[in-house]
Amino acid sequence: MAAAFRRSAARRLGGLLSWIGLIGAVAAAWQASLWFGVMTPELLPPIGEVLATAFSLLGRPAFLASVGVTLAEVLVAFVIAVPLGVALGFAISESRYWSAILKPIVFLVFSIPKTIFLPMFILAFGINFGQKVGFGVFSTIFIVLISSFSALDSVKSDHVRVARAYGASPWQIAWRVYMPAMAPILLEAVRLAMIFNLTGILLAEMYASRAGLGQLIASWGENYMLKELLAGILLIAAAAILFNEAVRWFEARCEHWRS
Amino acid sequence: MSTMARGTTPGSPASAPAVPRSEAKAPLRIVASAPGAVSVTGVSHTYDVSGRVTKALEDIDLAIAPGRFVVIVGPSGCGKSSLLMMMTGLTKPTAGTIVCSGRPMTEPDPDVVGVVFQEASLYPWLTAQDNVEFPLSLRRVPKAERATRAREKLALVGLQGFEDRYPHELSGGMKQRVSIARGLVQNPSILMLDEPFAALDEQTRITMGDELLRIWAETGKTVVFVTHSLSEAAYLADEIVVMSARPGRIIDRIEVTLPRPRTYEMMSTPHFAELRERIWRQIRHQVSEG
Repeated sequence: MAAAFRRSAARRLGGLLSWIGLIGAVAAAWQASLWFGVMTPELLPPIGEVLATAFSLLGRPAFLASVGVTLAEVLVAFVIAVPLGVALGFAISESRYWSAILKPIVFLVFSIPKTIFLPMFILAFGINFGQKVGFGVFSTIFIVLISSFSALDSVKSDHVRVARAYGASPWQIAWRVYMPAMAPILLEAVRLAMIFNLTGILLAEMYASRAGLGQLIASWGENYMLKELLAGILLIAAAAILFNEAVRWFEARCEHWRS
Repeated sequence: MSTMARGTTPGSPASAPAVPRSEAKAPLRIVASAPGAVSVTGVSHTYDVSGRVTKALEDIDLAIAPGRFVVIVGPSGCGKSSLLMMMTGLTKPTAGTIVCSGRPMTEPDPDVVGVVFQEASLYPWLTAQDNVEFPLSLRRVPKAERATRAREKLALVGLQGFEDRYPHELSGGMKQRVSIARGLVQNPSILMLDEPFAALDEQTRITMGDELLRIWAETGKTVVFVTHSLSEAAYLADEIVVMSARPGRIIDRIEVTLPRPRTYEMMSTPHFAELRERIWRQIRHQVSEG
Protein backbone atom coordinates (compact mmCIF):
# COMPACT_ATOMS: atom_id res chain seq x y z
CA MET A 1 0.00 0.00 0.00
CA ALA A 2 2.69 2.44 1.07
CA ALA A 3 4.80 1.47 -1.92
CA ALA A 4 1.85 1.98 -4.23
CA PHE A 5 1.21 5.39 -2.68
CA ARG A 6 4.87 6.37 -3.05
CA ARG A 7 4.80 5.21 -6.66
CA SER A 8 1.68 7.24 -7.47
CA ALA A 9 3.06 10.28 -5.62
CA ALA A 10 6.31 9.98 -7.57
CA ARG A 11 4.37 9.67 -10.81
CA ARG A 12 2.33 12.78 -9.99
CA LEU A 13 5.47 14.75 -9.12
CA GLY A 14 7.09 13.54 -12.33
CA GLY A 15 4.02 14.65 -14.29
CA LEU A 16 4.11 18.09 -12.69
CA LEU A 17 7.84 18.48 -13.38
CA SER A 18 7.43 17.50 -17.03
CA TRP A 19 4.65 20.12 -17.34
CA ILE A 20 6.85 22.83 -15.86
CA GLY A 21 9.68 21.67 -18.11
CA LEU A 22 7.48 21.84 -21.20
CA ILE A 23 6.21 25.35 -20.42
CA GLY A 24 9.75 26.48 -19.63
CA ALA A 25 11.07 25.03 -22.89
CA VAL A 26 8.40 26.81 -24.95
CA ALA A 27 9.13 30.12 -23.19
CA ALA A 28 12.90 29.64 -23.63
CA ALA A 29 12.54 28.79 -27.35
CA TRP A 30 10.26 31.82 -27.79
CA GLN A 31 12.77 34.19 -26.20
CA ALA A 32 15.82 32.52 -27.82
CA SER A 33 14.32 32.89 -31.29
CA LEU A 34 14.07 36.64 -30.61
CA TRP A 35 17.60 36.94 -29.17
CA PHE A 36 19.17 35.04 -32.06
CA GLY A 37 17.15 36.98 -34.63
CA VAL A 38 15.24 33.95 -35.97
CA MET A 39 12.06 35.87 -35.24
CA THR A 40 11.52 39.60 -35.17
CA PRO A 41 9.49 41.32 -32.44
CA GLU A 42 7.10 42.46 -35.21
CA LEU A 43 6.22 38.80 -35.84
CA LEU A 44 6.71 37.47 -32.30
CA PRO A 45 6.44 40.00 -29.46
CA PRO A 46 8.39 39.12 -26.26
CA ILE A 47 6.60 36.56 -24.11
CA GLY A 48 6.37 38.93 -21.14
CA GLU A 49 4.34 41.45 -23.16
CA VAL A 50 2.03 38.74 -24.50
CA LEU A 51 1.39 37.39 -20.99
CA ALA A 52 0.69 40.92 -19.74
CA THR A 53 -1.81 41.35 -22.61
CA ALA A 54 -3.42 38.02 -21.70
CA PHE A 55 -3.95 39.20 -18.12
CA SER A 56 -5.35 42.52 -19.26
CA LEU A 57 -7.70 40.73 -21.71
CA LEU A 58 -9.19 38.85 -18.77
CA GLY A 59 -10.21 42.23 -17.34
CA ARG A 60 -11.81 43.61 -20.54
CA PRO A 61 -15.63 43.31 -20.62
CA ALA A 62 -15.67 43.05 -24.45
CA PHE A 63 -13.30 40.07 -24.33
CA LEU A 64 -15.25 38.41 -21.53
CA ALA A 65 -18.47 38.87 -23.51
CA SER A 66 -16.85 37.03 -26.44
CA VAL A 67 -15.72 34.27 -24.10
CA GLY A 68 -19.30 34.02 -22.86
CA VAL A 69 -20.72 33.69 -26.39
CA THR A 70 -18.24 31.00 -27.41
CA LEU A 71 -18.58 29.14 -24.12
CA ALA A 72 -22.37 29.07 -24.49
CA GLU A 73 -22.12 27.77 -28.07
CA VAL A 74 -19.57 25.14 -27.09
CA LEU A 75 -21.55 23.94 -24.09
CA VAL A 76 -24.89 23.76 -25.89
CA ALA A 77 -23.34 21.89 -28.83
CA PHE A 78 -21.52 19.55 -26.43
CA VAL A 79 -24.61 18.82 -24.37
CA ILE A 80 -26.53 18.01 -27.55
CA ALA A 81 -23.84 16.10 -29.44
CA VAL A 82 -22.53 13.76 -26.74
CA PRO A 83 -25.80 12.32 -25.36
CA LEU A 84 -27.38 12.29 -28.81
CA GLY A 85 -24.34 10.56 -30.31
CA VAL A 86 -24.19 7.98 -27.52
CA ALA A 87 -27.93 7.27 -27.71
CA LEU A 88 -27.89 7.00 -31.51
CA GLY A 89 -24.71 4.91 -31.40
CA PHE A 90 -26.29 2.42 -28.98
CA ALA A 91 -29.56 2.33 -30.89
CA ILE A 92 -27.75 1.60 -34.16
CA SER A 93 -25.48 -1.02 -32.54
CA GLU A 94 -28.37 -2.82 -30.89
CA SER A 95 -30.18 -3.44 -34.17
CA ARG A 96 -28.45 -5.78 -36.56
CA TYR A 97 -30.48 -4.35 -39.44
CA TRP A 98 -29.61 -0.70 -38.80
CA SER A 99 -26.00 -1.61 -37.96
CA ALA A 100 -25.57 -3.16 -41.39
CA ILE A 101 -26.99 -0.08 -43.12
CA LEU A 102 -25.80 2.83 -40.99
CA LYS A 103 -22.40 1.84 -39.58
CA PRO A 104 -20.62 1.93 -42.97
CA ILE A 105 -22.24 5.29 -43.73
CA VAL A 106 -21.11 6.75 -40.40
CA PHE A 107 -17.53 5.60 -41.06
CA LEU A 108 -17.61 7.05 -44.57
CA VAL A 109 -18.94 10.41 -43.46
CA PHE A 110 -16.46 10.47 -40.56
CA SER A 111 -13.58 10.48 -43.04
CA ILE A 112 -14.85 13.64 -44.80
CA PRO A 113 -13.41 16.89 -43.39
CA LYS A 114 -16.43 18.62 -41.86
CA THR A 115 -15.01 22.10 -42.57
CA ILE A 116 -16.03 21.93 -46.23
CA PHE A 117 -19.69 21.93 -45.19
CA LEU A 118 -19.37 25.26 -43.34
CA PRO A 119 -20.57 27.42 -46.26
CA MET A 120 -23.66 25.22 -46.55
CA PHE A 121 -24.41 25.75 -42.87
CA ILE A 122 -24.18 29.51 -43.42
CA LEU A 123 -26.52 29.33 -46.41
CA ALA A 124 -28.99 27.22 -44.47
CA PHE A 125 -28.88 28.83 -41.02
CA GLY A 126 -27.20 32.24 -41.39
CA ILE A 127 -24.42 33.20 -39.02
CA ASN A 128 -26.30 33.21 -35.72
CA PHE A 129 -25.89 31.26 -32.46
CA GLY A 130 -27.89 28.32 -33.82
CA GLN A 131 -25.64 27.93 -36.84
CA LYS A 132 -22.54 27.78 -34.62
CA VAL A 133 -24.17 25.18 -32.38
CA GLY A 134 -25.38 23.21 -35.39
CA PHE A 135 -21.94 23.16 -36.93
CA GLY A 136 -20.41 22.19 -33.57
CA VAL A 137 -22.81 19.26 -33.24
CA PHE A 138 -22.15 18.23 -36.85
CA SER A 139 -18.38 18.35 -36.28
CA THR A 140 -18.65 16.30 -33.09
CA ILE A 141 -21.33 13.70 -33.47
CA PHE A 142 -19.49 11.29 -35.76
CA ILE A 143 -16.60 10.70 -33.38
CA VAL A 144 -19.13 10.13 -30.59
CA LEU A 145 -21.07 7.66 -32.74
CA ILE A 146 -17.94 5.70 -33.62
CA SER A 147 -16.78 5.68 -29.99
CA SER A 148 -20.19 4.41 -28.90
CA PHE A 149 -19.97 1.55 -31.38
CA SER A 150 -16.62 0.47 -29.97
CA ALA A 151 -17.77 1.07 -26.38
CA LEU A 152 -20.60 -1.42 -26.89
CA ASP A 153 -18.27 -3.85 -28.65
CA SER A 154 -15.98 -3.72 -25.62
CA VAL A 155 -18.65 -5.21 -23.34
CA LYS A 156 -17.90 -8.93 -23.01
CA SER A 157 -20.86 -11.24 -23.49
CA ASP A 158 -19.41 -13.44 -20.72
CA HIS A 159 -19.82 -10.56 -18.28
CA VAL A 160 -23.44 -10.08 -19.28
CA ARG A 161 -24.07 -13.80 -18.94
CA VAL A 162 -22.65 -13.85 -15.41
CA ALA A 163 -25.02 -11.06 -14.40
CA ARG A 164 -27.96 -12.90 -15.93
CA ALA A 165 -26.96 -16.12 -14.15
CA TYR A 166 -27.19 -14.19 -10.88
CA GLY A 167 -30.62 -12.85 -11.70
CA ALA A 168 -29.77 -9.28 -12.78
CA SER A 169 -32.60 -7.24 -14.32
CA PRO A 170 -31.98 -5.53 -17.68
CA TRP A 171 -31.62 -2.26 -15.77
CA GLN A 172 -29.01 -3.78 -13.44
CA ILE A 173 -27.15 -5.24 -16.40
CA ALA A 174 -27.05 -1.77 -17.98
CA TRP A 175 -25.75 -0.02 -14.85
CA ARG A 176 -23.62 -2.70 -13.25
CA VAL A 177 -22.06 -4.31 -16.34
CA TYR A 178 -22.38 -2.10 -19.42
CA MET A 179 -21.58 1.22 -17.75
CA PRO A 180 -18.35 0.25 -15.94
CA ALA A 181 -17.15 -1.75 -18.94
CA MET A 182 -17.78 1.14 -21.34
CA ALA A 183 -16.68 3.99 -19.06
CA PRO A 184 -13.06 4.22 -20.29
CA ILE A 185 -14.06 4.41 -23.95
CA LEU A 186 -16.95 6.79 -23.30
CA LEU A 187 -14.71 9.15 -21.33
CA GLU A 188 -12.24 9.12 -24.16
CA ALA A 189 -15.16 9.95 -26.45
CA VAL A 190 -16.01 12.95 -24.24
CA ARG A 191 -12.43 14.19 -24.52
CA LEU A 192 -12.24 13.78 -28.28
CA ALA A 193 -15.72 15.24 -28.68
CA MET A 194 -14.63 18.46 -26.96
CA ILE A 195 -11.62 18.78 -29.27
CA PHE A 196 -13.76 18.33 -32.40
CA ASN A 197 -16.47 20.60 -30.97
CA LEU A 198 -14.10 23.47 -30.12
CA THR A 199 -12.41 23.22 -33.49
CA GLY A 200 -15.72 23.32 -35.35
CA ILE A 201 -17.17 26.24 -33.43
CA LEU A 202 -14.02 28.39 -33.46
CA LEU A 203 -13.70 27.81 -37.17
CA ALA A 204 -17.33 28.78 -37.75
CA GLU A 205 -16.73 31.96 -35.74
CA MET A 206 -13.56 32.83 -37.62
CA TYR A 207 -15.20 32.25 -40.99
CA ALA A 208 -18.29 34.37 -40.47
CA SER A 209 -19.53 35.70 -37.17
CA ARG A 210 -20.49 38.83 -35.27
CA ALA A 211 -19.30 37.60 -31.89
CA GLY A 212 -17.19 35.03 -30.14
CA LEU A 213 -13.54 34.19 -29.58
CA GLY A 214 -13.02 32.89 -33.09
CA GLN A 215 -14.26 36.14 -34.52
CA LEU A 216 -11.88 38.08 -32.19
CA ILE A 217 -8.92 35.90 -33.18
CA ALA A 218 -9.67 36.39 -36.87
CA SER A 219 -10.01 40.16 -36.55
CA TRP A 220 -6.83 40.47 -34.42
CA GLY A 221 -5.04 38.61 -37.17
CA GLU A 222 -6.48 40.75 -39.95
CA ASN A 223 -5.60 43.93 -38.04
CA TYR A 224 -2.08 42.77 -37.20
CA MET A 225 -2.70 42.94 -33.42
CA LEU A 226 -0.09 40.32 -32.64
CA LYS A 227 0.02 40.71 -28.86
CA GLU A 228 -3.74 40.22 -28.57
CA LEU A 229 -3.69 37.43 -31.14
CA LEU A 230 -0.97 35.47 -29.31
CA ALA A 231 -2.54 36.17 -25.92
CA GLY A 232 -5.87 34.82 -27.25
CA ILE A 233 -4.17 31.74 -28.62
CA LEU A 234 -2.45 31.10 -25.26
CA LEU A 235 -5.69 31.48 -23.30
CA ILE A 236 -7.73 29.20 -25.57
CA ALA A 237 -4.93 26.64 -25.63
CA ALA A 238 -4.73 26.70 -21.82
CA ALA A 239 -8.50 26.22 -21.45
CA ALA A 240 -8.58 23.35 -23.96
CA ILE A 241 -5.62 21.61 -22.35
CA LEU A 242 -7.14 22.04 -18.89
CA PHE A 243 -10.41 20.37 -19.94
CA ASN A 244 -8.59 17.57 -21.72
CA GLU A 245 -6.29 16.84 -18.79
CA ALA A 246 -9.17 16.91 -16.31
CA VAL A 247 -11.03 14.25 -18.29
CA ARG A 248 -7.84 12.24 -18.71
CA TRP A 249 -7.29 12.32 -14.97
CA PHE A 250 -10.83 11.02 -14.45
CA GLU A 251 -10.26 8.40 -17.16
CA ALA A 252 -7.15 7.15 -15.40
CA ARG A 253 -9.12 6.78 -12.17
CA CYS A 254 -11.82 4.80 -13.95
CA GLU A 255 -9.54 2.40 -15.76
CA HIS A 256 -7.03 1.50 -13.07
CA TRP A 257 -8.31 -2.07 -13.49
CA ARG A 258 -7.35 -2.20 -17.15
CA SER A 259 -3.61 -2.63 -16.72
CA MET B 1 -22.06 -39.45 -0.27
CA SER B 2 -22.60 -42.94 -1.63
CA THR B 3 -25.99 -43.47 -0.01
CA MET B 4 -27.40 -42.76 -3.43
CA ALA B 5 -26.04 -45.92 -5.06
CA ARG B 6 -27.96 -46.58 -8.21
CA GLY B 7 -28.73 -49.61 -10.35
CA THR B 8 -25.77 -49.02 -12.64
CA THR B 9 -22.91 -51.43 -12.28
CA PRO B 10 -19.57 -49.81 -12.94
CA GLY B 11 -18.14 -52.81 -14.73
CA SER B 12 -21.02 -53.16 -17.22
CA PRO B 13 -19.80 -53.80 -20.75
CA ALA B 14 -19.50 -50.94 -23.18
CA SER B 15 -19.42 -52.94 -26.36
CA ALA B 16 -22.11 -51.02 -28.26
CA PRO B 17 -21.10 -47.42 -27.60
CA ALA B 18 -23.04 -45.79 -30.44
CA VAL B 19 -26.35 -47.03 -29.13
CA PRO B 20 -27.85 -45.06 -26.25
CA ARG B 21 -27.57 -47.30 -23.24
CA SER B 22 -30.69 -48.37 -21.49
CA GLU B 23 -29.63 -47.11 -18.08
CA ALA B 24 -29.58 -43.60 -19.46
CA LYS B 25 -33.35 -43.89 -19.38
CA ALA B 26 -33.59 -45.97 -16.25
CA PRO B 27 -36.58 -45.05 -14.10
CA LEU B 28 -35.75 -42.14 -11.84
CA ARG B 29 -35.52 -43.10 -8.22
CA ILE B 30 -34.61 -39.61 -7.21
CA VAL B 31 -37.14 -37.27 -5.69
CA ALA B 32 -36.84 -34.37 -8.12
CA SER B 33 -38.20 -31.83 -5.65
CA ALA B 34 -35.57 -32.51 -2.96
CA PRO B 35 -33.15 -29.61 -2.41
CA GLY B 36 -30.08 -30.25 -4.53
CA ALA B 37 -31.78 -32.68 -6.91
CA VAL B 38 -31.48 -32.09 -10.64
CA SER B 39 -33.87 -33.61 -13.11
CA VAL B 40 -33.60 -33.25 -16.87
CA THR B 41 -36.47 -34.78 -18.80
CA GLY B 42 -36.74 -35.18 -22.56
CA VAL B 43 -34.54 -32.21 -23.35
CA SER B 44 -33.81 -31.57 -27.01
CA HIS B 45 -32.41 -28.46 -28.57
CA THR B 46 -32.30 -27.27 -32.14
CA TYR B 47 -31.14 -23.91 -33.35
CA ASP B 48 -31.04 -22.42 -36.76
CA VAL B 49 -28.27 -20.44 -38.30
CA SER B 50 -29.55 -18.48 -41.31
CA GLY B 51 -32.13 -21.06 -42.27
CA ARG B 52 -30.06 -24.19 -41.54
CA VAL B 53 -31.53 -26.14 -38.67
CA THR B 54 -28.96 -27.85 -36.47
CA LYS B 55 -29.85 -30.42 -33.85
CA ALA B 56 -27.61 -29.76 -30.84
CA LEU B 57 -29.14 -31.99 -28.17
CA GLU B 58 -31.44 -34.97 -28.54
CA ASP B 59 -33.70 -36.46 -25.94
CA ILE B 60 -31.60 -35.97 -22.82
CA ASP B 61 -32.82 -37.58 -19.60
CA LEU B 62 -30.68 -37.16 -16.55
CA ALA B 63 -31.42 -37.34 -12.85
CA ILE B 64 -28.92 -36.30 -10.25
CA ALA B 65 -29.37 -37.00 -6.57
CA PRO B 66 -28.61 -34.30 -3.99
CA GLY B 67 -24.99 -34.06 -2.92
CA ARG B 68 -23.57 -35.95 -5.90
CA PHE B 69 -20.58 -34.89 -7.95
CA VAL B 70 -21.52 -35.49 -11.57
CA VAL B 71 -19.16 -34.78 -14.45
CA ILE B 72 -20.35 -34.45 -18.05
CA VAL B 73 -17.80 -35.30 -20.76
CA GLY B 74 -18.04 -35.60 -24.51
CA PRO B 75 -16.33 -34.70 -27.77
CA SER B 76 -16.01 -30.99 -28.44
CA GLY B 77 -19.12 -29.49 -29.93
CA CYS B 78 -21.35 -32.20 -28.45
CA GLY B 79 -23.45 -29.67 -26.63
CA LYS B 80 -22.28 -30.47 -23.08
CA SER B 81 -21.82 -26.79 -22.28
CA SER B 82 -25.18 -25.97 -23.90
CA LEU B 83 -26.80 -28.62 -21.75
CA LEU B 84 -25.23 -27.10 -18.65
CA MET B 85 -26.39 -23.58 -19.65
CA MET B 86 -29.92 -24.97 -19.94
CA MET B 87 -29.62 -26.56 -16.51
CA THR B 88 -28.67 -23.13 -15.12
CA GLY B 89 -31.71 -21.57 -16.79
CA LEU B 90 -29.61 -19.25 -18.94
CA THR B 91 -30.85 -20.77 -22.18
CA LYS B 92 -34.12 -22.50 -22.92
CA PRO B 93 -34.25 -25.92 -24.56
CA THR B 94 -36.60 -26.25 -27.54
CA ALA B 95 -38.20 -29.27 -25.86
CA GLY B 96 -38.21 -30.91 -22.45
CA THR B 97 -38.03 -29.67 -18.89
CA ILE B 98 -35.33 -29.10 -16.32
CA VAL B 99 -36.09 -29.03 -12.63
CA CYS B 100 -33.53 -28.12 -9.94
CA SER B 101 -34.42 -28.42 -6.25
CA GLY B 102 -38.04 -28.70 -7.32
CA ARG B 103 -38.01 -25.48 -9.34
CA PRO B 104 -38.42 -25.47 -13.11
CA MET B 105 -35.37 -23.69 -14.52
CA THR B 106 -37.08 -21.49 -17.09
CA GLU B 107 -34.81 -18.65 -16.03
CA PRO B 108 -31.70 -18.38 -13.82
CA ASP B 109 -32.42 -18.81 -10.12
CA PRO B 110 -29.30 -17.96 -8.08
CA ASP B 111 -30.90 -19.25 -4.88
CA VAL B 112 -30.95 -22.71 -6.42
CA VAL B 113 -27.98 -22.83 -8.80
CA GLY B 114 -24.60 -21.10 -8.52
CA VAL B 115 -22.69 -20.96 -11.79
CA VAL B 116 -18.93 -20.97 -12.36
CA PHE B 117 -17.90 -20.11 -15.89
CA GLN B 118 -14.72 -20.57 -17.87
CA GLU B 119 -11.89 -18.14 -17.25
CA ALA B 120 -12.23 -14.35 -17.37
CA SER B 121 -15.77 -14.18 -16.08
CA LEU B 122 -14.85 -11.93 -13.15
CA TYR B 123 -15.53 -8.21 -13.49
CA PRO B 124 -12.11 -6.61 -13.94
CA TRP B 125 -13.30 -3.32 -12.43
CA LEU B 126 -14.27 -4.98 -9.11
CA THR B 127 -12.01 -6.35 -6.37
CA ALA B 128 -12.19 -10.02 -5.40
CA GLN B 129 -14.45 -9.05 -2.48
CA ASP B 130 -16.77 -6.95 -4.69
CA ASN B 131 -16.91 -9.69 -7.33
CA VAL B 132 -18.11 -12.16 -4.71
CA GLU B 133 -20.56 -9.61 -3.31
CA PHE B 134 -21.94 -8.89 -6.79
CA PRO B 135 -24.77 -11.49 -6.76
CA LEU B 136 -25.81 -10.28 -3.30
CA SER B 137 -25.76 -6.62 -4.31
CA LEU B 138 -28.12 -7.43 -7.20
CA ARG B 139 -30.52 -8.69 -4.52
CA ARG B 140 -29.99 -5.58 -2.40
CA VAL B 141 -28.65 -7.55 0.55
CA PRO B 142 -27.53 -5.04 3.24
CA LYS B 143 -23.92 -3.96 2.89
CA ALA B 144 -22.61 -5.37 6.16
CA GLU B 145 -24.19 -8.78 5.62
CA ARG B 146 -22.90 -8.80 2.04
CA ALA B 147 -19.35 -8.12 3.20
CA THR B 148 -19.41 -10.83 5.87
CA ARG B 149 -20.84 -13.49 3.59
CA ALA B 150 -18.39 -12.71 0.77
CA ARG B 151 -15.43 -12.77 3.19
CA GLU B 152 -16.56 -16.15 4.50
CA LYS B 153 -16.71 -17.62 1.01
CA LEU B 154 -13.34 -16.15 0.05
CA ALA B 155 -11.88 -17.78 3.17
CA LEU B 156 -13.57 -21.05 2.22
CA VAL B 157 -11.80 -21.06 -1.16
CA GLY B 158 -8.48 -20.16 0.49
CA LEU B 159 -8.28 -16.50 -0.47
CA GLN B 160 -8.22 -14.85 2.93
CA GLY B 161 -6.12 -11.71 2.63
CA PHE B 162 -6.76 -11.28 -1.10
CA GLU B 163 -10.09 -9.45 -0.74
CA ASP B 164 -8.81 -6.14 -2.10
CA ARG B 165 -7.01 -7.53 -5.14
CA TYR B 166 -8.30 -6.83 -8.61
CA PRO B 167 -8.58 -9.78 -11.04
CA HIS B 168 -5.52 -8.64 -12.99
CA GLU B 169 -3.52 -8.95 -9.77
CA LEU B 170 -4.57 -12.61 -9.31
CA SER B 171 -3.26 -15.81 -10.95
CA GLY B 172 -5.52 -17.94 -13.14
CA GLY B 173 -6.15 -20.41 -10.33
CA MET B 174 -6.95 -17.64 -7.84
CA LYS B 175 -9.43 -16.09 -10.28
CA GLN B 176 -11.28 -19.37 -10.52
CA ARG B 177 -11.28 -19.60 -6.71
CA VAL B 178 -13.00 -16.21 -6.67
CA SER B 179 -15.49 -17.50 -9.26
CA ILE B 180 -16.26 -20.49 -7.05
CA ALA B 181 -16.71 -18.21 -4.02
CA ARG B 182 -19.09 -16.08 -6.10
CA GLY B 183 -21.00 -19.22 -7.11
CA LEU B 184 -21.42 -20.21 -3.48
CA VAL B 185 -22.21 -16.83 -1.95
CA GLN B 186 -25.99 -17.18 -2.15
CA ASN B 187 -25.82 -20.66 -0.65
CA PRO B 188 -27.42 -22.46 -3.57
CA SER B 189 -27.88 -26.21 -3.14
CA ILE B 190 -26.36 -26.84 -6.57
CA LEU B 191 -23.09 -25.64 -8.10
CA MET B 192 -22.69 -25.88 -11.88
CA LEU B 193 -19.26 -25.43 -13.45
CA ASP B 194 -18.58 -25.04 -17.16
CA GLU B 195 -15.00 -26.16 -17.94
CA PRO B 196 -13.79 -24.02 -15.04
CA PHE B 197 -10.16 -25.17 -15.12
CA ALA B 198 -9.72 -25.49 -18.90
CA ALA B 199 -7.40 -22.50 -19.16
CA LEU B 200 -5.16 -23.48 -16.26
CA ASP B 201 -1.81 -25.25 -16.42
CA GLU B 202 -1.65 -28.91 -15.43
CA GLN B 203 -0.36 -28.46 -11.85
CA THR B 204 -2.83 -25.69 -11.03
CA ARG B 205 -5.58 -27.77 -12.55
CA ILE B 206 -4.86 -30.72 -10.26
CA THR B 207 -4.63 -28.44 -7.21
CA MET B 208 -7.91 -26.76 -8.13
CA GLY B 209 -9.55 -30.18 -8.56
CA ASP B 210 -8.46 -31.11 -5.02
CA GLU B 211 -9.69 -27.76 -3.75
CA LEU B 212 -13.07 -28.20 -5.40
CA LEU B 213 -13.39 -31.67 -3.85
CA ARG B 214 -12.54 -30.24 -0.44
CA ILE B 215 -15.10 -27.44 -0.84
CA TRP B 216 -17.68 -29.95 -2.06
CA ALA B 217 -17.03 -32.20 0.94
CA GLU B 218 -17.31 -29.21 3.31
CA THR B 219 -20.48 -27.76 1.81
CA GLY B 220 -22.33 -30.89 0.63
CA LYS B 221 -23.57 -29.19 -2.56
CA THR B 222 -24.64 -31.06 -5.63
CA VAL B 223 -21.98 -30.42 -8.28
CA VAL B 224 -22.47 -30.64 -12.03
CA PHE B 225 -19.15 -30.22 -13.79
CA VAL B 226 -18.50 -30.04 -17.54
CA THR B 227 -15.03 -30.84 -18.86
CA HIS B 228 -13.29 -32.27 -21.90
CA SER B 229 -10.53 -33.80 -19.76
CA LEU B 230 -11.06 -37.51 -19.16
CA SER B 231 -8.59 -37.62 -16.25
CA GLU B 232 -10.30 -34.71 -14.58
CA ALA B 233 -13.66 -36.44 -15.01
CA ALA B 234 -12.43 -39.74 -13.55
CA TYR B 235 -10.59 -38.01 -10.72
CA LEU B 236 -13.47 -35.82 -9.55
CA ALA B 237 -16.69 -37.65 -10.25
CA ASP B 238 -19.12 -39.87 -8.41
CA GLU B 239 -20.67 -40.41 -11.78
CA ILE B 240 -19.52 -39.62 -15.31
CA VAL B 241 -22.08 -38.81 -17.98
CA VAL B 242 -20.67 -39.44 -21.46
CA MET B 243 -22.24 -37.60 -24.37
CA SER B 244 -22.11 -38.39 -28.09
CA ALA B 245 -21.07 -36.06 -30.89
CA ARG B 246 -23.74 -33.76 -32.28
CA PRO B 247 -26.59 -34.20 -31.84
CA GLY B 248 -25.59 -34.68 -28.21
CA ARG B 249 -27.14 -37.71 -26.55
CA ILE B 250 -26.20 -39.48 -23.33
CA ILE B 251 -24.41 -42.65 -24.40
CA ASP B 252 -23.01 -43.85 -21.10
CA ARG B 253 -23.25 -43.23 -17.40
CA ILE B 254 -20.34 -44.52 -15.41
CA GLU B 255 -20.38 -44.91 -11.65
CA VAL B 256 -16.91 -44.14 -10.28
CA THR B 257 -16.12 -46.39 -7.36
CA LEU B 258 -12.71 -44.97 -6.49
CA PRO B 259 -12.67 -44.32 -2.75
CA ARG B 260 -12.76 -40.83 -1.28
CA PRO B 261 -10.87 -38.75 -0.49
CA ARG B 262 -9.30 -39.03 -3.92
CA THR B 263 -5.54 -38.73 -4.08
CA TYR B 264 -3.12 -38.02 -6.86
CA GLU B 265 -1.68 -41.55 -6.53
CA MET B 266 -5.03 -43.04 -7.59
CA MET B 267 -4.41 -41.69 -11.06
CA SER B 268 -1.78 -44.39 -11.59
CA THR B 269 -3.94 -47.33 -10.46
CA PRO B 270 -5.29 -49.90 -12.94
CA HIS B 271 -8.84 -48.97 -11.95
CA PHE B 272 -8.26 -45.37 -12.97
CA ALA B 273 -6.71 -46.42 -16.26
CA GLU B 274 -9.70 -48.70 -16.91
CA LEU B 275 -12.11 -45.83 -16.28
CA ARG B 276 -10.29 -43.50 -18.63
CA GLU B 277 -10.10 -46.27 -21.19
CA ARG B 278 -13.84 -46.85 -21.03
CA ILE B 279 -14.68 -43.17 -21.53
CA TRP B 280 -12.11 -42.84 -24.28
CA ARG B 281 -13.52 -45.84 -26.19
CA GLN B 282 -16.91 -44.14 -26.28
CA ILE B 283 -15.63 -40.74 -27.25
CA ARG B 284 -13.08 -41.98 -29.80
CA HIS B 285 -15.83 -43.87 -31.53
CA GLN B 286 -17.85 -40.66 -31.68
CA VAL B 287 -14.97 -38.62 -33.02
CA SER B 288 -14.13 -41.11 -35.78
CA GLU B 289 -17.81 -41.30 -36.71
CA GLY B 290 -18.02 -37.57 -37.05
